[in-house]
Amino acid sequence: MARLISQSDWATPMIVAVSLGVLISLFNPAFLSTFNIQVLLEAVSINVLIALSQMVIIAIGQMNLSVGALGGLAAVIFAGLMEVFGLPPIVAGALALGVGLAGGFLNGLLIGLTGISAFVITLATLSIFKGLNLAITQAQPFYEIPDAVKHFGNATLFGPFPIIFVPAALIVVLLVVFFNRLPVGRWLLAVGGNAHSAELSGISTAKTVVIAHAISGFLAACAGVLLVARLQLGQPTIGDDWLIMSFAAPIIGGAILAGGHVSTVATVFGVLIVAQITQALVLFHIDPFFVQVVLGLMILAAVSVNQWRELRMQRAGQE
Amino acid sequence: MKRITTLLTGAATLTVVALGAQAETKVAHVPGGPHPFFADWEPASIAAKEDFNLGAADYKFPQKWELNLQNDLLESLVTQGYNAFAIHPGDPVGSVPTLNELVGTGAPVIAVSACVNDPSDVSFCLASDAGASAYTGTKHLIEAMGPGTRKIAHFTGWLVEPNTQLRIDGVAKAAAEAGVEIVQVIADIDAPEPAEEKIGAYLAAHGSEIDGVITTAWVPAVVASNAMRRIGDKRIKMVAIDHDEVVMNAIRDGFVVGSMLQNPYGQAYVAAFAADKLLNGCEVSADAPFTSHPLTERFIDSGAPYVDASNVDTRADVDRAMTEELIRKVEADFLSCN
Repeated sequence: MARLISQSDWATPMIVAVSLGVLISLFNPAFLSTFNIQVLLEAVSINVLIALSQMVIIAIGQMNLSVGALGGLAAVIFAGLMEVFGLPPIVAGALALGVGLAGGFLNGLLIGLTGISAFVITLATLSIFKGLNLAITQAQPFYEIPDAVKHFGNATLFGPFPIIFVPAALIVVLLVVFFNRLPVGRWLLAVGGNAHSAELSGISTAKTVVIAHAISGFLAACAGVLLVARLQLGQPTIGDDWLIMSFAAPIIGGAILAGGHVSTVATVFGVLIVAQITQALVLFHIDPFFVQVVLGLMILAAVSVNQWRELRMQRAGQE
Repeated sequence: MKRITTLLTGAATLTVVALGAQAETKVAHVPGGPHPFFADWEPASIAAKEDFNLGAADYKFPQKWELNLQNDLLESLVTQGYNAFAIHPGDPVGSVPTLNELVGTGAPVIAVSACVNDPSDVSFCLASDAGASAYTGTKHLIEAMGPGTRKIAHFTGWLVEPNTQLRIDGVAKAAAEAGVEIVQVIADIDAPEPAEEKIGAYLAAHGSEIDGVITTAWVPAVVASNAMRRIGDKRIKMVAIDHDEVVMNAIRDGFVVGSMLQNPYGQAYVAAFAADKLLNGCEVSADAPFTSHPLTERFIDSGAPYVDASNVDTRADVDRAMTEELIRKVEADFLSCN
């Protein structure tokens, strides 16, 4: 069992995350308070979806710059449908997730049809999705969020576990199964590893790209909808800050940007590491002017530890 | 740069010729980017058009809070015939060349709710004194906390925003005067996600160690108000900024002591009035009683009233009275119309 864990691709991020947690709690025991764990899990629940939304695209060797814009659009549609049209949360949520799915599908279709790089296409759709967001909201938040949604976003299931942790955990499990057990998940990794070889093996690259982007859009929309519940309002700026997080966590989790290798569980630990670092900066009263510098350095350190471990494993394999 | 100036001048000339000698005022209210603070600018534009008989008064915002996008929008508005501008500058220094170009086309430009650095050609800056507002808000917080050794936390906005440092200084000054310790300043959180994460983490770990919270930016005020409600601990006193409904409801329910208002509606409304006057023959008075501001010598303080449980339900009256006083003051003391 121990050998299995040590050889898994999520062992190092897990060790870093646990060590970081122990270290922070040694210096500041309040880190382990029920309320703080709840705050941490709330942040992780949403950031995990953002990171997985990007991870799915990294798996096929591409980038999705529109993750935040699409998540933000789904968020304001969710809030707007409830406030303006009085739709029940379930219906509004389903439509918002549908918008995310459709937006992702559009990204994939445009990339597949035109052959233009995902970077360029998603850069363009980022602007379109953000423009739609501002056209809908006129840059003003939607405030009339039903109490049931507010409760869903802020209540706990038991102890410090927030309710929004449940859908996030469910999606993590589904993605683990998707990448490890389903053929379509293996297609994504095959296309990311070597698109030409995958094509020769009978895998449709275009179809795989569309599937990956549709999943990515859906996950971004899930994050947007959960964030509306957590913030208790539909802010048009939702998603503006997602890009760095969306890349940082999968990379800390050992994802290869060229594609072909990602780890869902390692990405979850990557998210946990970033969330802990963010919290630590607040807990240890870091000067606000140096927060970004310290955050960047700590992410760099976490990535370096993972790279170092992989190199060691490669050398051990060669010997 | 020269090409842009030529284009703008040409467009403005054509517009003036088309409209006749007496320019029909078309005011554009342009914030630095999308932000809930500017929600009242659109109704203010509509009211100003009606009340001052303007040709147009429209609220136009760049898609993102980026200086180049605001500059592009401003240039586009000139070509669309707008000939007077009320602008929240995207950057106190970087905005100056573009604003000077607008003035070069004959359009009066007023910096609204934030100022640009002197020297510039803008007519004046009409805004709340951010530093003074933060100072007064902290004074109210200290009063609410009562006597004794007190510790407070300060949650504020983007570090690149010119008002942020003024606010940090204002809070520090009031705290130092009263012997109150500022144990933490959390900045760069004028967006929902980082604000939620950092304010939540701070209150979870250090909530028991502080007696008060002062917030000096819109989003941190909203997020901290929600956090106070969630914690349910009314021992920690909080003074917010601005008039978001979440904050106002938290004041009503006793989770927040009060808030420092800025009256963005009045600022935009009065700016449209002044811009129209300046376009049609009035000038800024040579002996206008401008007040001192760290960025400019042409500063009109639009006021920063304090709202608490006693007047939260009559906030609209507070704003209205402030707007009426401001328009009277601007017309009588700052404009010279012959």
